[in-house]
Amino acid sequence: MAQRIVIDPVSRIEGHAKISIMLDVSGNVSDAQFHVTEFRGFEKFCEGRPMSELAGITPRICGICPISHVLASAKAGDAILAVKVPPAADKLRRLMNLGQIIQSHALSFFHLSAPDFLLGWDTAPEKRNVFGLAATNPDLARGGIRLRQFGQEIIETLGGKKIHPAWAVPGGVRSPLTEEGRARIRGWLPEVLATTKTGLELFKQTLKTHRREVEIFGHFPSLFMGLVGPDDTWEHHGGHLRIVDSTGSIIADDLDQQKYFEVIGESVQKTSYLKSPYYKPLGFPDGMYRVGPLARLNVCKRMGVPEADKELANFKTFGHGAVTSSFLYHYARLIEILAAVEMVGRDLDDPDLLSDHLRADAGINSLRGVGVSEAPRGTLFHDYTVDRNGILRKMNLIIATGQNNLAMNQTVAQIARHYIRGPQIPEPMLNRIEHGIRCFDPCLSCSTHAVGQMPLHIRLLASDGTLLAEATRG
Amino acid sequence: MTQSSRKGAQLLVIGYGNELRRDDGVSVKVANALAEWNVPDIEAIGCHQLTPELAERIASAAYVVFVDAALGPGDVVRCREVEPDENSQVMTHATDPSSLMALAKQAFGRCPPASWLTIPVQDVGFGEELSPLAHQGLKIALEKIRSLADAICR
Repeated sequence: MAQRIVIDPVSRIEGHAKISIMLDVSGNVSDAQFHVTEFRGFEKFCEGRPMSELAGITPRICGICPISHVLASAKAGDAILAVKVPPAADKLRRLMNLGQIIQSHALSFFHLSAPDFLLGWDTAPEKRNVFGLAATNPDLARGGIRLRQFGQEIIETLGGKKIHPAWAVPGGVRSPLTEEGRARIRGWLPEVLATTKTGLELFKQTLKTHRREVEIFGHFPSLFMGLVGPDDTWEHHGGHLRIVDSTGSIIADDLDQQKYFEVIGESVQKTSYLKSPYYKPLGFPDGMYRVGPLARLNVCKRMGVPEADKELANFKTFGHGAVTSSFLYHYARLIEILAAVEMVGRDLDDPDLLSDHLRADAGINSLRGVGVSEAPRGTLFHDYTVDRNGILRKMNLIIATGQNNLAMNQTVAQIARHYIRGPQIPEPMLNRIEHGIRCFDPCLSCSTHAVGQMPLHIRLLASDGTLLAEATRG
Repeated sequence: MTQSSRKGAQLLVIGYGNELRRDDGVSVKVANALAEWNVPDIEAIGCHQLTPELAERIASAAYVVFVDAALGPGDVVRCREVEPDENSQVMTHATDPSSLMALAKQAFGRCPPASWLTIPVQDVGFGEELSPLAHQGLKIALEKIRSLADAICR
């Protein structure tokens, strides 16, 4: 009899989700699904709003990644105005995105993920969190908290507040960096560089004792997509779209961002509010691709800053062409923090950052505009169709977590296959499946979600819906 | 986030809530009002939610007051002591006063005495205006904080 295991809720991710694991008649894992049970509806209720408001509205999708949305939204607005933003505005947007990458990755690694592999997979859930980390390694916990604070300080210095700053707008940005702000940011650099290096060393030590996790936590071939600079350098806001396969071969390059829909399809599943984008030429589901830190490091050949370039060279030794283990998202995330910190230091003295030439003004010159930017979790698309008055008629958002949906399903199935033998639900599997999802750092709209003592509800169901077994934790 | 610039102040007041959900923003308005007092030894932070980054500021204060809106029966501004709780529900990017106090103690080595001031509210719909109940609560909260500041900072 075919069976199904349900894990609900999944904790320490940004939002609400559950997991179903399907068993075949022999009791082996046949498939897995990551369901998102929240509904937001931004694409629909933004219809009828003026295009100029969207950079203010869409960041409200999320409290963790508002910067990603405001930047993608502003870029979509740039395309509708058909303007080239002033160089100062582009540099300031890039600086803010680096701050966003730092703060979000620091949260993901130090607060959410590191407790699992530093405190032990089978440590009690109420201890396996940032408090547990603070108790056993206060320096690391403190460093992680302050690293995130640094990223947020960049955001606040530029945008006036840490969350939801209404700063980037179609055509540019509202305000420049000040001398005082620049000095404040510079003061942080030695400390956050040291913290990032500590995190990297710690994770590289972890890898020596976590070879099984590298092998079974989402280790499979897939495509990878991300922005890349004109000289194959790591990119996070400009550049062009590139797709590589698991051998590292470029299968699509210099894709027209305004026509992303020609290569990216979106499949809708009945069991989830999360869409499943795929690479159209390979069809669904063979066109599965991954985005985010792992993908960005796979599509580029260099980071563009010295310390991160050394780490990238080491990172690439974990793959044959492309690095394909999802457990190494953590490593990629840390390398991106390192690159971001180095880039902030490198670019901080650019006089353009203090310029007051920050906006290009224009009317509605194009009835459709697409903005693409790299959010910490992966490539983010904002696609707006407006009328001649700039009123939004249609919106399509493609979010990083959605683009990783198929890969997350496959990750869960791979971990489950390693642990499940028959109809029992092995306890060690649950923590590891949750972490398998956490490798992708999914953000399901930024609803808060408790950790530690959160109840974990697992149901084992027969194919006819009969409850065969049930386990509750917390 | 809004804040007065008195790092290392004796009294740290953290008002948290959503200013776009009417009465839920009353605590942030308390923080804004305190910042306008421009009183030495009081640092006021108004923020959307409690985040782990506040732990460091908490650790360096002599006394902390958390200000929150409380929806439900009752019309009294309450003030109670907060103890650090390492086993409370830890949130991912947002947290609660007890957890934040515990984080301050563990990660930054110190956890000062603290109070949790809750202001009764009745309307948390979309908007920025306060209900009469929340408006009254705001005044009372400011009086309580002034009394507390007089006692702590004298």
